[in-house]
Amino acid sequence: MAGAASSNRQRSKIAPYLMILPALAYLAIFFVIPFWSLFRTSLSTSGGSVYLPTLTFAWDFANYGQALTAYQDQIIRSLTYAFSATVISLVISYPLAYAIAFKSGRFKNLLLGLVILPFFVTFLVRTLAWKTILADDGVVVHTLGSIGLLPSDGRLLSTSWAVVGGLVYNSMTFMILPLYVSLEKIDPRLLEASKDLYSSSFRAFRKIILPLSIPGVLAGSLLVFIPAMGDFINADYLGSTQTTMIGNVIQKQFLVVKDYPAAAALSFLLMAMILVGVLSYTRALGTEDLV
Amino acid sequence: MANQMNQGFNSQFASSRTSRRRFIGGSAAAAAGFALSGSFLAACGSNGTTNSSSSSAPPPDDGKPASGSLRISNWPLYMADGFVAAFQKASGLTVDYKEDFNDNEEWFAKNKDPLSRKQDIGADLVVPTQFMALRLKGLGWLNEISDTRVPNKKNLRPDLLNDPGDPGRKYTAPYMTGMVGLAYNKAATKRDIKTIDDLWDPAFKGKISLLSDMQDGLGMIMQSQGNSVSEPTMDTVQKAVDLVREQKEKGQIRRFTGNDYADDLAAGNIVVAQAYSGDVVQLQADNPDLQFVIPESGGDWFIDTQAIPYTTQNQHAAEAWIDYVYDRANYAKLVAFTQYVPVLSDMTDELNKINPKLATNPLINVPDADKARLHAWAALTDEQTQQFNTAYASVTGS
Repeated sequence: MAGAASSNRQRSKIAPYLMILPALAYLAIFFVIPFWSLFRTSLSTSGGSVYLPTLTFAWDFANYGQALTAYQDQIIRSLTYAFSATVISLVISYPLAYAIAFKSGRFKNLLLGLVILPFFVTFLVRTLAWKTILADDGVVVHTLGSIGLLPSDGRLLSTSWAVVGGLVYNSMTFMILPLYVSLEKIDPRLLEASKDLYSSSFRAFRKIILPLSIPGVLAGSLLVFIPAMGDFINADYLGSTQTTMIGNVIQKQFLVVKDYPAAAALSFLLMAMILVGVLSYTRALGTEDLV
Repeated sequence: MANQMNQGFNSQFASSRTSRRRFIGGSAAAAAGFALSGSFLAACGSNGTTNSSSSSAPPPDDGKPASGSLRISNWPLYMADGFVAAFQKASGLTVDYKEDFNDNEEWFAKNKDPLSRKQDIGADLVVPTQFMALRLKGLGWLNEISDTRVPNKKNLRPDLLNDPGDPGRKYTAPYMTGMVGLAYNKAATKRDIKTIDDLWDPAFKGKISLLSDMQDGLGMIMQSQGNSVSEPTMDTVQKAVDLVREQKEKGQIRRFTGNDYADDLAAGNIVVAQAYSGDVVQLQADNPDLQFVIPESGGDWFIDTQAIPYTTQNQHAAEAWIDYVYDRANYAKLVAFTQYVPVLSDMTDELNKINPKLATNPLINVPDADKARLHAWAALTDEQTQQFNTAYASVTGS
């Protein structure tokens, strides 16, 4: 009896490890190993044949310095675009998520469905559709021009506006859904209680809804900011030669120039910037335990 | 208004059936995927082993007719309707035809590691542009194409047969040639475009697109500076890159493109674009205002070639395919679709049988005066290619 009990206990000790094994193996193979080899590449020097270069690991930190000085414009631009896209996305999405969570009644599921609907169309086609909408000879540009919001030779496509707009459009669902989830969880009785205590609606929002929705704000911001930082499709299709982001540079370095150490160093710089951004953001919002 | 929108959408989709290199942008998305998977993993391994032999011997010829299946990897929209089916019927072979060759450099980045290990790349015949085919040949990754199995090789244009990069065309079988020049929308420019200087007209600020491919993008600019593409040096390339950078910083250049300039040109976002001749012939069908011109200072040729990788699973079938393509009647059907310049000689009769307009189109049957202004790039050394690509990418990719 005692032996059976202890083997049971042993089994229950092993079970959790067995359960995480597949995920752990998956991460080891598809994340840790590539991550490690990318790291080594970023510190290697490239030599030998042009097309099949031999990479020699050499603690070559100069790769980072060179990448940083050569592409600081693109790095700053990526940060600016990703930050703008996150803020704009938050400002647009919050009222919408609020309305769906509290005011939509029986249309709630329909509205949520509509939020997700654009994602049934592939990312590339959605982005290309914006090219048509914002075209120089298109309706939007003509209308804005005729009411004086755009100069006569002005354009929307191939500007920073279009790139940030594309980033916002393509990421809004990722902002709306976490916001909705965190807002929807809020107990309506808290609001009733606040009214009983003669709180104004605005005060109730500021003291109850906003603090309780912070996890949604945080999750949404991360889901928008991180992909936007590394994005290159929007800059490629909606931007011009003046709006290239760090993702475009990395793509070009990997596929055309084939300077793998430089491309890997840039990738690591990108990751480091995202990490610093995310950590300081979560710290500022005081929800480290959620990440 | 609705009509305008419709036109926009139509042009987007109309141009989607135009051209052979236009999926470059789309492939960028796919490229993102593999850049994060295979490419750098491979780059990190100790895969610096270069096959030093300059060529590979094909398997010994048993004299039997080709049989089995053939996997072809070609550019998108580079094939006539019904052509593959007709070949299957005539040869008894099964063809797995894929349009997954989107960009030379990206294709190379994706396939160089399996090729360096002599692993199958899923294609028995590929259609790289000549510079890429010669790179593959130099790395020893191409099989020789048997002359006896391709008797129709005699139909090849004599000027193509004697290429310095591949004398006698033993490894690379030209598929199509085309001109790189300027395409413009005359309704928007309101004047003729003749020279490279016209690109820098302040009236067209932000309405110009250049090709992101180094040779196609820089070739005509180097020629406008009095330099030659048949004897390029780092100095002459750098001079062209500097001019492009200057114009880019002024905001003159809107985009660096693959074939996707066609969309912008059709939609009016771009008024003058560096362009491939065949694209323009097809776009003209929808928009007669579009013109193609070889700059006065010169444009250049590109040649796309069929090549058999040394990892091919069916050498004879690939040769049977090339032979079938090199039959003039068959080839005319391809030209009627792609609208590029034939690589076979004496095509007029066969083209007339399909459509007399084809043979008289100066973009398909190029007049001698135009030919005199077209030049082909010299075969570059590996180091040159790398240096020139890096120099141009410092403008196009930043």
